[in-house]
Amino acid sequence: VSSPIAVFRYLARRLLQAVPIILGIVVLNFLLLQLAPGDAADVLAGEAGSATPEYMEQLRRRFGLDQPVYVQLLLYVKNVITFNLGFSFRHNMPVLNLILDRLGPTLLLMLTTLVLSVGFGVLLGLLAAMRVHGWRDTLISITAIIAYATPLFWIGLMLILLFSITLRWFPASGMESVAAFHEGWDRVVDIAWHLVLPAVSLSLFYMALYTRLMRATVLEQQGKDYVVTARAKGLTESQVTFRHILRNAVLPVVTMAGIQVAGLLGGSVIIESVFGWPGLGLLAYQSLFARDFNLLLGIFFFSACLVVIVNLIVDLLYLLLDPRIELR
Amino acid sequence: MNMIRKLFIAGFAAAAVVGFSVSQSNAQERGGTLVMLVQPEPPTLASYVSTSGPVGQVATKVFDGLLEYDFDLEPQPSLAESWTVSDDGKTITFNLRQDVTFHDGEPFTSADVQFSIMDVLKQRHPRGPLTFKEVTEIETPDDHTAILHLANPAPYLLMGLSSYESPMIPKHIYGEGTLDDHPNANEPIGTGAFTFVEWRRGQYMRFDRNANYWKEGQPYLDRIVASFIPDSSTRTAALELEEAHIAGFGAVPYSDVNSLDALPHLEATTSGYQMQAPIVQLDFNTRREPFDNQKVRQAISYAIDRQFVIDNVWFGFGKAATGPISSVFAVTGMYTDDVREYNVENGQEIAEQLLDEAGYPRDDNGIRFSIVHDITPYGEEWQRYGEYTREALRNIGIEVRLRTEDVPTWLRRIYTDYDFDLTNNWIQTLADPVIGAHRLYHSDQIRPGTVFVNGSGWSSPETDELMDRAAIEVDQDRRNAIYHELQQKLVEAAPYVWVHELQFATVYNNNFQDLIVSPLGIYTSFSEAHQAQ
Repeated sequence: VSSPIAVFRYLARRLLQAVPIILGIVVLNFLLLQLAPGDAADVLAGEAGSATPEYMEQLRRRFGLDQPVYVQLLLYVKNVITFNLGFSFRHNMPVLNLILDRLGPTLLLMLTTLVLSVGFGVLLGLLAAMRVHGWRDTLISITAIIAYATPLFWIGLMLILLFSITLRWFPASGMESVAAFHEGWDRVVDIAWHLVLPAVSLSLFYMALYTRLMRATVLEQQGKDYVVTARAKGLTESQVTFRHILRNAVLPVVTMAGIQVAGLLGGSVIIESVFGWPGLGLLAYQSLFARDFNLLLGIFFFSACLVVIVNLIVDLLYLLLDPRIELR
Repeated sequence: MNMIRKLFIAGFAAAAVVGFSVSQSNAQERGGTLVMLVQPEPPTLASYVSTSGPVGQVATKVFDGLLEYDFDLEPQPSLAESWTVSDDGKTITFNLRQDVTFHDGEPFTSADVQFSIMDVLKQRHPRGPLTFKEVTEIETPDDHTAILHLANPAPYLLMGLSSYESPMIPKHIYGEGTLDDHPNANEPIGTGAFTFVEWRRGQYMRFDRNANYWKEGQPYLDRIVASFIPDSSTRTAALELEEAHIAGFGAVPYSDVNSLDALPHLEATTSGYQMQAPIVQLDFNTRREPFDNQKVRQAISYAIDRQFVIDNVWFGFGKAATGPISSVFAVTGMYTDDVREYNVENGQEIAEQLLDEAGYPRDDNGIRFSIVHDITPYGEEWQRYGEYTREALRNIGIEVRLRTEDVPTWLRRIYTDYDFDLTNNWIQTLADPVIGAHRLYHSDQIRPGTVFVNGSGWSSPETDELMDRAAIEVDQDRRNAIYHELQQKLVEAAPYVWVHELQFATVYNNNFQDLIVSPLGIYTSFSEAHQAQ
């Protein structure tokens, strides 16, 4: 088992390594975005329906778009290094404030989804694998395939149709009741109420993935020597499953979940849009079409950091789950 | 003609009904929260520097203008109690109300008018430099008189003073610091019926009743919440579930309007867009072959079946257009339908004949020439409208390839690079042709990099001269006559195909009344809106 000092050293090294990676991502993102035709001034004036040339020129000067690209890049990198993410001219707000505003709702939806999908995925996968080809396995596998194959937006809309419009159990949109302005516990309950449908829609897809992965790894583990040994020791079937197989089989699921955190950000664009959930994915999507590159780069920067951190956490989780793994 | 008369009658009837309900509403009880859907979320609340569609819907709750307008497009008092225009049209005197205060308690005075127009709107507003082009100076002899001195008469100016187009903002707030990143840009302070409370980005904006509003007893509602839901199906569901109460412009897809209208608690109306007067068009690139040829342009205009487009693409929401000026201007006498009529039964035959005459015969495969048709990236309708145009042009021997790009790319192509043959498009012709329509047709409006101006490249000394004259003509009848001539000349030259006058639908919960009381519709204060009793 690794000592706390070793863990600390490992963490420090990994974080240090992350710096050039993230800077590389920033530069690459910046250059990629330059390929998109049209700029923020075009969009703003386009939305206005009309604008004078003086107005357009004034916008471009303010946005710094009149500078050569390399100057814009150098300025941006310089700012990022000092943790200044710049200003969103479209929103007339610092990028950092805009992102922090949305971070809470994003993390709430993401973590709920992660817990639901990994939890139920592992459970269902295990259930299916324990009685392979039984009715339970067939039922779980078919449900998983359907959930996996159904487009997210359709699941979302169907849940609204059934649970909001027909049954009136849950609200159709938003993160809280906009007209009510609840406070304290009422607000917590209200938000939880609004969270149910988006979290369930998003979880269904990922749960299906983890169920199938879990089922496959459990089946694979069942034939391993250590399982035979455990049985030979006289352990009961449930002891074998929960103490030995589960712990080993869950490793690939954790790896997968770590990788998919980034995808979860992207996949939630659709859910955020369908349910009017005020998250980061939607903000990124909208700022792309608005050519609000400062904001978009800021979001990319945050996502890159998030992915690096989550991967680090996953690596540390391995240590907990499997004591044989050592830090190097 | 019959059609127009019908519209007239409908217009008067609507005005009469509204007038009636307004007079009834004097004894309205207070209370209620109205949730309005705003789509998309506005980029800013600074309506003095941005005219982005959704901005008008929220900022007009906070700011007032000098004037308001009735359904005959006649100016009505607002912050200006009365006004006089000198005989030569070069001096406009506004007498301001004396009982108006801003939300921070400071009084509204002529200094604020001077600041708003000269320092902000004329300098920084997307359209302000045009509206206030002729204003050289604003004199403020006392706190409640503002005298505008003009270099030339500007008959359109009185049409551009609504709270949507020219909000009056406090000098003591916005005069401090720079306008670019002013701390009150997104926490606006105005004189309007509702005060700004908070903006949770991605979720909602909240506006509470202004207890000191200068209109006696108004507003009736306690609160207005602007709610942002990106998905159109969910917006429809929110109206159905009464989570939201009103949605306008494109917020409800045309395909859903009628089914929502059929629900007992919802109503739909197309009134309240008269001062937007949008026209759906096809824009030719008149610099390029084959559209540098008038006969080719006319042929394409003949080939489009307006009613088919309205019925099948826009679910019936529209009215065939006859030319560059919308028929909503019939009430002012500016509009005429006495122009070349393209929307005829045998349009296809005439089109083929014109193309033959223009020197573009069909080849062995039956094709005269090939073009690329760009699609305006503002929603599904435009794609279907493009597909219709492709088929209509194929019928007269023109091969069409469709091209769809995102908004900034499309804007760049049409208004900066001019790298297109034909694009579909729509233009708000706004409250007066000088503010709305001239920018599409005047040669001084060929301005690379400026969007929604003369991208077509149409240039003619004859039409330029007409527009120059109309811009400064004070006599309404003479001005109307100039516009009639302009419409005839432009329709004959056909630098655009004017397909139909777009009608937007507003869907609202009938538990609320008197929401749409002006030709600016949801771009007004909602101070008269109240709950049904």
